[in-house]
Amino acid sequence: MANLKVNICGVELKNPVVAASGTFGFGKEFDEIYDIGVLGGISTKGLTLEPRLGNPTPRIAEGHGVILNAVGLQNPGVDAFLKDDLDFLKSKHIAVIANVAGKTLDDYAGICEKLDGKVDMIELNISCPNVKCGGMAFGIKPESVYEVTKVSKSALKKTPLMVKLSPNVESIAANAAAAQKGGADAISLINTLTGMVVDIERRRPLIANNTGGVSGAGVKPIAVRMVWEACNAVDIPVMGMGGITSAEDALEFIIAGAAAVQVGTANFTDTLAMPKIIDGMNAWLDSHGIADVNQLRGTLRLNG
Amino acid sequence: MKEVTVRILENKPIAAGIYKMTFALPEKVGGISCGKFVNISVGDGAHLLRRPIAVCEHCESSVTICYQLKGEGTRLMSGKKAGDTLSCVLPLGNGFSLRGEDKRVALVGGGVGVFPMYSVLKEYEGTGKEFFSYIGFRNKAAVCYAEEFAALSEKAEIVTDDGSFGKKENAVGAFFEDLANAKPDVILSCGPTPMLRALKAGLAERGINIPCYVSLEERMGCGIGACLVCVCKKSGKTENARVCKDGPVFEIGEVEL
Repeated sequence: MANLKVNICGVELKNPVVAASGTFGFGKEFDEIYDIGVLGGISTKGLTLEPRLGNPTPRIAEGHGVILNAVGLQNPGVDAFLKDDLDFLKSKHIAVIANVAGKTLDDYAGICEKLDGKVDMIELNISCPNVKCGGMAFGIKPESVYEVTKVSKSALKKTPLMVKLSPNVESIAANAAAAQKGGADAISLINTLTGMVVDIERRRPLIANNTGGVSGAGVKPIAVRMVWEACNAVDIPVMGMGGITSAEDALEFIIAGAAAVQVGTANFTDTLAMPKIIDGMNAWLDSHGIADVNQLRGTLRLNG
Repeated sequence: MKEVTVRILENKPIAAGIYKMTFALPEKVGGISCGKFVNISVGDGAHLLRRPIAVCEHCESSVTICYQLKGEGTRLMSGKKAGDTLSCVLPLGNGFSLRGEDKRVALVGGGVGVFPMYSVLKEYEGTGKEFFSYIGFRNKAAVCYAEEFAALSEKAEIVTDDGSFGKKENAVGAFFEDLANAKPDVILSCGPTPMLRALKAGLAERGINIPCYVSLEERMGCGIGACLVCVCKKSGKTENARVCKDGPVFEIGEVEL
């Protein structure tokens, strides 16, 4: 049994596998299928100050090796999360990462204040492609990444801040560096890539919102490249995600420099995807005589 | 609900574009009942979403589903042979249930919505309840389960949109024409949303307050209630319900159609 424990900006995860925001709710449903206490952590459904109903349906479509979603941040609001869901997650002894989104800088500051000291980490969603005002608007330019990170960080006295970056940008390295400069304790990437699927008979997009966020196995090479670029641009820990389906996929991200990974879409294809990834990671490390997953981090050897 | 690997016993076409698949359960899986669904992985690595399909028949050791060939995923399913295995999450959702006082039951089903209606008939077979089934298909080529509905119903009326089999009518129209005869204590329905809308409007126009439960269809993500992809609006509230977890069966007044 290799050591799978990792430490992300002071938060200890029992293994580097974290449920990605939006695919796992607040954990209760998946816990009916397996004990989610085996996970390294969970990034919650994106939370906002007020409850949100989200976008019209259909909210999901499929491409080859990918899916597109446009849920539009439906969530019960941060107060309901604190009242109804946090205790359950804490009882599972996993790292609880609250994913938060806002329309304005004040929203981000307000929601961070409410969660400070109550969760293990905040993941700042500045990259949701499915809400019109806010969300991704903050995530595009390095200047606004810096600004929203700084405002959020100053609202947090106890809880570390992780900033989730959008791939729909000019330079991922510049945005990663901007998050670090703004005071981020960690970054995570990639959020979904904006895409569209068209029903040719109806000549309409399949998703009610027209466009949606592309995720799943097909985006993995893009995600690995961006995680590698981001890791080279910052000193803070990086959580990598995008199309991870197997232990081998997860290890690619870790070799590229990620300290931990998040798994999202794979939970839809196989409800047991994450426990299988954790077991597979252990088996791979054992079979390669590597005693600690941390030894693998950032060991990428470039060609030429 | 459980994630299980099931072994296909039979998979064959039964009408134009409709396949019937029976699979063996690997272990005792409790809680399968009429109106619930299973979520099937087509397992090719390219189609990442599972296909949610309603239970049509079930026993302790097997489940039968009927599905329409709609796209690549269901086409891949149709190519599976007896002995092949599939990954499946089941049972899912809240299904139909009848109270003791529901003696006369109207079933209104259209298209692939007829199969969950049949699951009700099978489950309550021999319980002394009287079923009045109004079953609609597009045309004669799509008709299936006609004899099965006839065998277990007091009255089973099979209608088609083009009149090529039975009356030229839809299931909702057939139901309202026969309402005075059926005098149901409860109405159960499943079919395309416009059909359910017509049922709701028809009941409202006639001022009928018979309890009515409908099963909704929506594109799903996880199928277990976590991802909030398959939602519908709750009537009179600024709140959504999850079709996969809170439904798919709802009291007709509970949700906006």
